[in-house]
Amino acid sequence: MGEGAAIAGLGMTELGRVYGRSARRLAADAVRRAAADAGLGPADLDGLVVSHGLGGSPGIELADTLGLRDLRVLTQMNAFGATAGAMIAYAAMSVTSGAATTVACVFADAPLRPERSSGAAYERSAREWHGYGGMTAALGFRSVNALYALAARRHMARYGTTSEQFGAIAVSTRQWATMNPLAQMRDPITLADHQNSRWVAEPLHLLDCCLVSNGAIAVVVTSADRARDLARPPVHIWGWGQGHPGHRRERGSEFGLTTGAAVSGPIAMKMAGVTVSDIDVCELYDCYTYTVLVSLEDYGFCAKGEGGAFVESGALGPGGALPTNTGGGQLSGYYMWGMTPLSEAVVQARGDGGERQVAKNDVILVSGNGGILDHHSTLILSPHRKGA
Amino acid sequence: MEIGILRRDGRTDPFFDGAAEDRLVIRRCEPCDHWYAPDQSGCPSCGGDELVWAQASGEATLVTWTVLHGRPAADGTVPPPAVLGLVELAEGPWLNARLDGVDAAALREGLALRASFVHPAEGEPYLLFRPV
Repeated sequence: MGEGAAIAGLGMTELGRVYGRSARRLAADAVRRAAADAGLGPADLDGLVVSHGLGGSPGIELADTLGLRDLRVLTQMNAFGATAGAMIAYAAMSVTSGAATTVACVFADAPLRPERSSGAAYERSAREWHGYGGMTAALGFRSVNALYALAARRHMARYGTTSEQFGAIAVSTRQWATMNPLAQMRDPITLADHQNSRWVAEPLHLLDCCLVSNGAIAVVVTSADRARDLARPPVHIWGWGQGHPGHRRERGSEFGLTTGAAVSGPIAMKMAGVTVSDIDVCELYDCYTYTVLVSLEDYGFCAKGEGGAFVESGALGPGGALPTNTGGGQLSGYYMWGMTPLSEAVVQARGDGGERQVAKNDVILVSGNGGILDHHSTLILSPHRKGA
Repeated sequence: MEIGILRRDGRTDPFFDGAAEDRLVIRRCEPCDHWYAPDQSGCPSCGGDELVWAQASGEATLVTWTVLHGRPAADGTVPPPAVLGLVELAEGPWLNARLDGVDAAALREGLALRASFVHPAEGEPYLLFRPV
């Protein structure tokens, strides 16, 4: 690894119901902001990694939009919600191997339209349906909500996890969001609010589900040595890992019970030279409250099946033993796929969290989760140089 | 149950041929005797790409379930909820299934179900799972 890699810049556009800019323009804005944050101009970038998205997200033509020339690294990556972690790992490998010196990684999406509800943004609808797949869609399998509900219900049936325990995650995440000016949902909620929120797909209430946002977030990755001389404190990349369980849809499948975090977590922590007891802060992919709960189990913060009791203990909220999703996550903050947890990790590592800044930020775990629990990525970040 | 109109796609037609005769026809890899959902292409167990269409027993058990609620309309009316499940066929594969004739509060892992077909006046038939 040599000197290691670090995140030197963070760029975020306005997030949420932001209209009038295409995903490509949002992406370009985020890259420019990330470079400026690091004290660099776009011309200083020699690498660009673009995340796949769903709402007309840009590809590698973004380099042309930005006027970038003579890049040494340029690619689009896709592991769905695990992409951000995979992009950062690729960028870190690029700068530590010498393939490039300064690599921007960006996610942008603009699925929201002014006249449509958030829920409609990622849902299929039609009057005529075609083939077997069309039949299952016609019968109700039209969005990921139902599929995550099936996973969550399986966890409940197997381990006795309750809706109130999912609600504890919604409440603690909102507590953090009240202290984040960028969060879309900042009014405090109670467990009763969670229980009374309308059903989306049982056992998931509305307050178990993430937001939908337009916007873009980018980070700049460079060598730890170079990052030291740039404008902002480096956020060192200590370790990374991926896990793609390849759940078969057949007898014996662990679908809903375990995720790729069980594989990506140990890989990333071993690379970082830490164990689960060293983690001070978690920024976890929270497309649903359930996703947080099952990820915590798979990372080993508690035993399998005990995630419900763990989150109910108050560990995740302000003042808790394991501050988690300290910016409000995707549930209450903003939904930028894996860039949501990553951006908040950068904020906390730099000590920029203001009212919500955690006291101890030495080791931060960041997760990504994609598909229907099909893809997982983990990053271990720190304000300190690895091994220093 | 209002689901819109269902048409064939040229790729999964044997499923609808079977459905027209109230038979559940799915995919099977003969060399390794592995069964799959009707939209499977290729056998991830042996790498073979020659799946055949074969009649399954229609017997199944419930793996997990959800009650899907529609979004309230502007006038406050809410479409009727749908009970969806993952069902495990006796032959092993899981299907995304719409359940019918069930009491959502009484659903449990392992509940015995059987394939059943609806034949609308227009369009192709569709598959439901009902308690045995």
